[in-house]
Amino acid sequence: MLEVKGLVAGYAGSEVLHGIDLVVNDGEGVVVLGPNGHGKTTLLRAITGLLPPLAGQVLLNGEDITRWRADVIAAAGVVHIPQGDLLFPEMTVLENLLMGAYHGPTWAERNVRLGRVYELFPWLKERGGQLARSLSGGERRMLALGRGLMAKAKILLIDEPSLGLAPLTTQQIYASILTVKEGGMALLLADENANHVASLADRVYLLETGMLVRVGPAEELLHDKALLESYLG
Amino acid sequence: MSVGVVSQIASARPAIDQAAAPWRRVSLLTIGGTVLAGILIPWLLVRLPIGDYLVTLLILFFMQAVIAQSWNLIMGYGGIYSFAQVALFAVGGWTAAVLVSSLGWNPFVAVLFSPVIAVVAAVGIGLPTLRLRGVYVVLMTLAFHELARVFAVTGPRFISGGGYGLVNVPTFQFGNVIGEQRTIYLYYLAMVIFAIASFVIWRVIHSPLGMAVTALRDSETYAVSRGINQLRVRLILFAISAFFTGLAGGYMTHYNGGISTSVFDFPILIDLLAMIVIGGWGTFGGPILGAAIIIALDQYLVAIGDYRALFEGLIIAGIAVFAPQGMWPLIRNAYDRYLGPEPPARPTPESQRGGVPS
Amino acid sequence: MYDTQIVQAVWGGVLFGSVYGLMALGLTLVWGAVRLLNLAHGAIFIVGAYAAYWVVSSLHLPILVALPFGVLAAAVFAYAMHLVFIRPVIGKPGFDNATLVATVGISISVSAAALLIFNPEYKVVPPELTGSYIVAGVQINYQGLLVIGTSLALFAILYLFLTYTRYGMAIRAVSQQMEAASLMTIPVVQTYGLVIAISGGLAGLAGVLLSPLFFLNPQSGFNPMIQALIVTIFGGLGSVRGALVAGFVLGVFESFVEVFYGVAWALPGVFILIIVMLIVRPNGLFGIGEVRRL
Repeated sequence: MLEVKGLVAGYAGSEVLHGIDLVVNDGEGVVVLGPNGHGKTTLLRAITGLLPPLAGQVLLNGEDITRWRADVIAAAGVVHIPQGDLLFPEMTVLENLLMGAYHGPTWAERNVRLGRVYELFPWLKERGGQLARSLSGGERRMLALGRGLMAKAKILLIDEPSLGLAPLTTQQIYASILTVKEGGMALLLADENANHVASLADRVYLLETGMLVRVGPAEELLHDKALLESYLG
Repeated sequence: MSVGVVSQIASARPAIDQAAAPWRRVSLLTIGGTVLAGILIPWLLVRLPIGDYLVTLLILFFMQAVIAQSWNLIMGYGGIYSFAQVALFAVGGWTAAVLVSSLGWNPFVAVLFSPVIAVVAAVGIGLPTLRLRGVYVVLMTLAFHELARVFAVTGPRFISGGGYGLVNVPTFQFGNVIGEQRTIYLYYLAMVIFAIASFVIWRVIHSPLGMAVTALRDSETYAVSRGINQLRVRLILFAISAFFTGLAGGYMTHYNGGISTSVFDFPILIDLLAMIVIGGWGTFGGPILGAAIIIALDQYLVAIGDYRALFEGLIIAGIAVFAPQGMWPLIRNAYDRYLGPEPPARPTPESQRGGVPS
Repeated sequence: MYDTQIVQAVWGGVLFGSVYGLMALGLTLVWGAVRLLNLAHGAIFIVGAYAAYWVVSSLHLPILVALPFGVLAAAVFAYAMHLVFIRPVIGKPGFDNATLVATVGISISVSAAALLIFNPEYKVVPPELTGSYIVAGVQINYQGLLVIGTSLALFAILYLFLTYTRYGMAIRAVSQQMEAASLMTIPVVQTYGLVIAISGGLAGLAGVLLSPLFFLNPQSGFNPMIQALIVTIFGGLGSVRGALVAGFVLGVFESFVEVFYGVAWALPGVFILIIVMLIVRPNGLFGIGEVRRL
């Protein structure tokens, strides 16, 4: 469904990704594992249009979306839940969620989606009027996730869902993501920690200094302790 | 902050401009030649029937170039969006006018006080303003311009002269010299001011102060984290700019024999802005080139009257958006390509990138 | 006499306050969404005013027809400015420089164009409402009341628009977190155009409504713009609420200073007030500390 071929990307004068090839099939959970600073966020940003790639291709169901604008890519169903949440600070919890469904479902559809999100994180319904900037770290993450789920996604790209969270909240987050995946959603997850993603991952790519150094089925890579230690320290 | 953004900021940090070192750019011979030409030109020009007029054009050029350079110093290099330039010119001009008209001082002495008072005014505005973000500077300096204008028009008689400014201010006297000869002396005075200003500004730009202020402009958080005192650096730059602008104001008052409140009107501000934008924003030669262009075109532009402002505004806007580097870099590049010394070998992208290319 | 002065001061203050608020509203919206300091705001103001004047004097249509025409002309002009001078530099590092100089240049050009097309004579733009009544010796004219009423109504309309409509929320989203807005399928650059057009319409409206209260000439846009700038910063860049409150606070303040200390002290008084504000609360009344852009 999502195919990346030879993707090269970087920032003003320095190349961060040196040619990435990856595939995410329908309903698959793909994890890109790698230490901080090696290009995971750059990869996700390049795929979703926040960063224009320098070379290579991104294909969605065969269609070349490489040079598309970020909002057009999002409308095509490639939903990015970014690192750092990027919530709308002066909007309420409910408004943030509604923004996730900006693309234009009917009121009825929107309420259905809200219902689904509330099932995952019931507190969002109770505290709908609270301003996003007054939320705690864990709450923001849940809101960001909820907001992303409000869109009609074909594939979810999630960047480091556990970044900066306490262990209990982390568990909650990954459990929710698993629920979503079990509903048939394709996932591309960027993460630093192999343990958390074990249940989610079908296939794993290892990213090091902007290049993919290993790819394989989750069982194989995630249980090879020696391999993981040498790449993740 | 993501790694990407941090590396973006880090690589945007300005490196020292290799090509700017004076001994690489302009040989002593060129400088000497230019100075010699500057000294001799008026004597040559007066042979022509319109020679006297041309010399006065050059005087205007010198003064406008000084002001344009000063403004460019703070706006182009410093990134300080100040619109107080004209007001500071006026402060300098009025200082000299009042000292001579009301206190009877000698113009040559009075003109020495113009830059001083201008600097005082600049520091006065600068202290509260320069520590704030750019947009506030725009506002405060615009407000200062307005305030200065209102004060000049409605202030006490010895300043406002009834609302139109001060007239019949004694001009520079060079003994009993009159006519062409006098124009030439005025020319030399202007040339000296221009030379000093240009030299100082050049030195400032290529000094640690200049580097600091450009670093602040390009990446403030990084510069401050490296210990650059934002307010002090900007204030000093602002003061230097005000110094020469005020000096030009004082000179012009005694050149024209008065100073009018119409100096606050927009045509002068637009002209100065046009000089910087067309000539080359943030470059040394830009404002000088721009001043030359505007003054040269001035004669033809008078013919089109009110259309002048219309075109000037559109040209400024167009260049700012579509050719922001202005004309000076184009000329410099042409010089480099065809006439200049060989540039040093530049490191290639391959040798810079670490790791195995894919 | 004391009575009259107070009424005069309050009336003047509320009237000017609502005008400043209207002008500041457009400026603050554009700053919030596009991070653009629009120094052509005053130019758009006179585009609206002159357009309305032209409709009345050349087409001989009533001012009530001219009003929407003026607003539309201003909005279209603002959008055209966005297309030609703003859009090409969005996202580029030189954006702040380029747009500052470009908007100044446009301001000058519009002034010059007005001079060429309409000549420098002061023009009289007919008011929408004529007549007045007297309160405590002060003339309260109906046009003034219209201006106040319109200003308040517009703030309310804009508040509702921004809070409850889809496009309004898109504008708020882009103002608060531009990248996230893209990820929500909001076309950011198009939204910029929308905000600039709305801001232009507001400036044009202010122009049409206000010009009967003074004489319209090519330089008419500059003072309102400086006032708008002061109000915007006083109220907090990007804050709609701030523009409203600051408009009235500054308007009343200036008015009182004028009435009790003379016109000459009005501008210096405001100047001092804003310096105090910038020292005490640099972000303005309702401004929130934000990532430094300009």
